Amino acid sequence: MANSIPLSKPSSNLQTKTPNESSLLRWICLAPAVIYDSLLFLLPLIFLIWIGFWTVDNYRLVPGFSLSNYIDIFQQFFSKSRYAYAILQSLWVSSTATFLTVLFCYPFAMAIAFVVPVRLQRLAILLAIAPFWSSYILRLYAWQTLLNKEGLINSFLQTLHLINQPIEIVFTQIGTRIGLIHYLAPIMILILYLALQNVDRSLLSAAQNLGATRWQVFWRVLLPLTRPGIVYAAVFGMIISLGDVLSGIILGGGTGKSIFGSLPLFASMILNEYAASTNLPRTSALATILIVIMVLILFAGTKFSQSNQ
Amino acid sequence: MVLSQPHTQLSETNPASSHDLELVDICKYYGPLMVLDQINLNVKAGEFVAIMGPSGCGKTTLLRVIAGLEGVSQGHVLLRGQDITGLPVNKRNTPLVWQSFALFPHLNVRQNIAFGLTLTRHIKAEVQQRVQEAAVMLNLEPLLDRRISQLSGGQKQRVAIARALVTKPNILLLDEPMSALDPHLRIRMQGELKRLQQALSISFFYVTHNQNEAFSMADKVVVMNQGRIEQIGTPSDIYNAPATHFVAEFVGNNNLFEGEVVEINNQTIQIRCAQGLIQAPYRDRPHQIGERVTVVVPADRMVIASTGPIENSIQATLRAREFIGSQVIYYLETSTGQEIKLIQQQSLNESLNVPINADLQLSWKVESTILLGERSVDAP
Repeated sequence: MANSIPLSKPSSNLQTKTPNESSLLRWICLAPAVIYDSLLFLLPLIFLIWIGFWTVDNYRLVPGFSLSNYIDIFQQFFSKSRYAYAILQSLWVSSTATFLTVLFCYPFAMAIAFVVPVRLQRLAILLAIAPFWSSYILRLYAWQTLLNKEGLINSFLQTLHLINQPIEIVFTQIGTRIGLIHYLAPIMILILYLALQNVDRSLLSAAQNLGATRWQVFWRVLLPLTRPGIVYAAVFGMIISLGDVLSGIILGGGTGKSIFGSLPLFASMILNEYAASTNLPRTSALATILIVIMVLILFAGTKFSQSNQ
Repeated sequence: MVLSQPHTQLSETNPASSHDLELVDICKYYGPLMVLDQINLNVKAGEFVAIMGPSGCGKTTLLRVIAGLEGVSQGHVLLRGQDITGLPVNKRNTPLVWQSFALFPHLNVRQNIAFGLTLTRHIKAEVQQRVQEAAVMLNLEPLLDRRISQLSGGQKQRVAIARALVTKPNILLLDEPMSALDPHLRIRMQGELKRLQQALSISFFYVTHNQNEAFSMADKVVVMNQGRIEQIGTPSDIYNAPATHFVAEFVGNNNLFEGEVVEINNQTIQIRCAQGLIQAPYRDRPHQIGERVTVVVPADRMVIASTGPIENSIQATLRAREFIGSQVIYYLETSTGQEIKLIQQQSLNESLNVPINADLQLSWKVESTILLGERSVDAP
């Protein structure tokens, strides 16, 4: 960006206020958002992080600033509780689930944006996000009845003699991913649809006009132009999956098997610690570690979506 | 680029066509709506053709048909004698300069220009060299590594042209390329485009609604209305001898009077209009006494009576005036309420001698009068 100097924005003190832009009115309009974010997001978050530095003495919380929880956690990172392995499992399951969801949703969103007639597109989107209206837990149990050893899919395949032994899907991380993909797909379709809608159609025609085949239009123009949308959808998917415990417990059986072995997800580990121990500060510290991971992913995603743009 | 061999009779009859582009009986309908109606048009090698018409006249659709972005209901598109009517858009090499420029925002200037070359196997050095050539031709060399968002409107347009020319097409399609530029730049680009077209000696197919652009650059002007071609001719043909009522009204600064032929002799035809008797030269067009006709008088052929020879004249009242450079445009009104436009080369001081609301006599030479058949003849 060597040439950006002459293009820099005029300094802000050159901007003049128009009379109807009264600052009081602006604050009144902003207030609901500020209050909402502060009360329901920022304060609990700060509180959570803060408690992570407290200690417990004789079953009683002792406010203060101590790193003992973190030292304790990092000492058990690879032994005893083996948090590192749970984090690894979480990252692995989340990233693969997210990747598969994007892979599934992108063509889906493309079909809605390019094939479905414009007047039916709203309806198509509505139908695509319809699963979101049913309860997440109910959907997970529905999957369980479909996928378990005596479930619909296994008994069907056995009747056809395609398999002799039932396939284990439930209580493995494959089950977890199925639950996550079903959970993420509606919103990802929406995000990707919006990204695709934003693409100037004349750019696609221009590429064809210059000699590009349909594949080349896709790889050389459409995909790069929708990259920010894809990255945001992926970041969204990662953050939701990392924080999700239900799919990991109901379909993943708590410590489902993956290529890394039968390990719990980090989020369900935090939940277990919270339920089993009386050490709230320690649980808060674990939660803070998860939040830090999510923030890092968010930053990396933002960085990646902006570079080259 | 190897095009498939022509199969139609049409192309076999003229294998070595001297035309870059031939449009044969092109029709296109959307349901009952006729968008293109029997378009027949040839573009000679190296010709600058401007398609002009009001919005919705089908000129952009015609351009998209040539590029292959739209199909036709019937008819043929021939590129250098080869029928490309069924050829997919990406196999035609008929690059288009878009109204919105349609530059790829995720690529820089160099990558945008190279785009067409990178789609097929090309040696890297050759790509670089041709991008360089195109950049030199359009003065884009210092901008090659810029992002598209860092360019001005005029620069964007030059990138769009360079990108279209890099595959060395025989014909370049331009869709109102100036409409996104400011007026000052528009004039400059007109000169540059013409220079470029002559230097490359390829044909330009230029769609515009702006007659100044069409007249200043084109070798051939095509006026379209409601999906049909109204007139094809050189700029001076179109300007001096409009063939239809529509062309006379759309092009230039013409004054139109409705009237009836009352007398014909070997030299002149007398027409009775609401504004009085008007004489027109007897040309080869047959007219009959009693025929309803339209009299066309270009605004720059009229003068305010005291200064010119009185052959034809009418009375009008001055209502307003406008100064454009050394030209003065007078807006007048006749007693029947018709508005008349009169353009004169005149200094500001001179023109101010004529007060607003003055009753004036306007006159023009008989030979400057153009006669068109009755209006209903060229109505659809």
